[in-house]
Amino acid sequence: MARAEQPVWDLPIRLVHWTLAGLIAFSWWSVHNHHTDWHIWSGCAVLTLLIFRLLWGFVGSSTARFSSFVRGPRTVLSYLSGRWTGIGHTPLGALSLIALFGALAIQVGLGLIAEDEDGLYTGPLYRLVSSDTSDKARDLHELWFNVILGLIALHVAAIIFYRLRGKHLTKPMITGRAVVGPETAPMRPGKWWVALICLGVSIGIVRWVIAGAPPFGHWAPS
Amino acid sequence: MRIAPFAVVFSVALLAGCGGPETSQGNNAQASISNESRDSSQAASSNLEVRLSQGDAAKIMHDRHEAMEGLGKAMKALHRELDSSKPDINVIRAQTSIMASTAAKIPAFFPAGTGPDVGKTRAKPEIWTQQDLFIRKSKDFLAASQAIDAAAKAGDVNKVMALHENVDKACKACHDPFRAPEH
Repeated sequence: MARAEQPVWDLPIRLVHWTLAGLIAFSWWSVHNHHTDWHIWSGCAVLTLLIFRLLWGFVGSSTARFSSFVRGPRTVLSYLSGRWTGIGHTPLGALSLIALFGALAIQVGLGLIAEDEDGLYTGPLYRLVSSDTSDKARDLHELWFNVILGLIALHVAAIIFYRLRGKHLTKPMITGRAVVGPETAPMRPGKWWVALICLGVSIGIVRWVIAGAPPFGHWAPS
Repeated sequence: MRIAPFAVVFSVALLAGCGGPETSQGNNAQASISNESRDSSQAASSNLEVRLSQGDAAKIMHDRHEAMEGLGKAMKALHRELDSSKPDINVIRAQTSIMASTAAKIPAFFPAGTGPDVGKTRAKPEIWTQQDLFIRKSKDFLAASQAIDAAAKAGDVNKVMALHENVDKACKACHDPFRAPEH
């Protein structure tokens, strides 16, 4: 008799996860197919999601909060030796999440100040740096994508590893529910209107960035 | 459970896709000029008038690279100047002058025998297999850059701004089909 499934991932977490996956693929495709303008918009969308996820990490559901999963090495070791129980990000999975989101933040930051090699397209904040710096940022932006690919490969490899050991990780990221141990404290869900406020704030910040940040430039991808 | 395979396919597709455009450029890496490949490229082009020597081809490709890089720098500088709060007409004029003079040289920069089979270049073979289209695109760019240069010489910043998009489009219209990716 299977035990009942319980909520582990709220809707905002799942939407952020799958939208990010789609946007990363789209960003890669668009820039390799002469759609640099779409690529820039995609990067702005990624930035919106990163800011949203950051805010949701403080005011979201219990499994979304950094305070619930950012742990020290001692907890990671206790997890590796099998003495950890709980729901949400495991201490090891949390490291993977922090690495991926950190790498994405760096990637977006480089894209914001980059310019293309022909002077046709620029990141919204390119005017804050010199042309040489913009060119270097573009080169690094291209190289850094390999780091992101590596982290994605690690992420997927971990999912396959757990699946082979009998633990499904992908389905809960779709349905939001999983079978959890009887002694585990249930997820405390966040409030939907708080999520909407977080989304509004992150869109607002990105609009400000698109406008050229501090004094408002006049950037627009055409 | 059908999701895990999807995730694998997704990541593999990302990785595989990434390799695509780079492997397609493998032939660009050959910097040395082989007589065999040169002969075959010359046989393929019917309207070749002069047989380029190895040194001539290398010189044209080097000058072309420098000129196109200078053109890119001028484009970037123009973009920045037009996007600044007080565009300086003298800075604009310096860039449009480089653009117009470089544009005029483009057809002569791409004689047959200066393609990726001869040396390291991002010029795609389509330049010579679709030469009519290439020449037409280069003329479009020449017209666009001469127009913006004339506006800059007349000191009309607003007109320069209005014409800027045409130049951008002309660059892209030729680069998309005829230039290989950067790396």
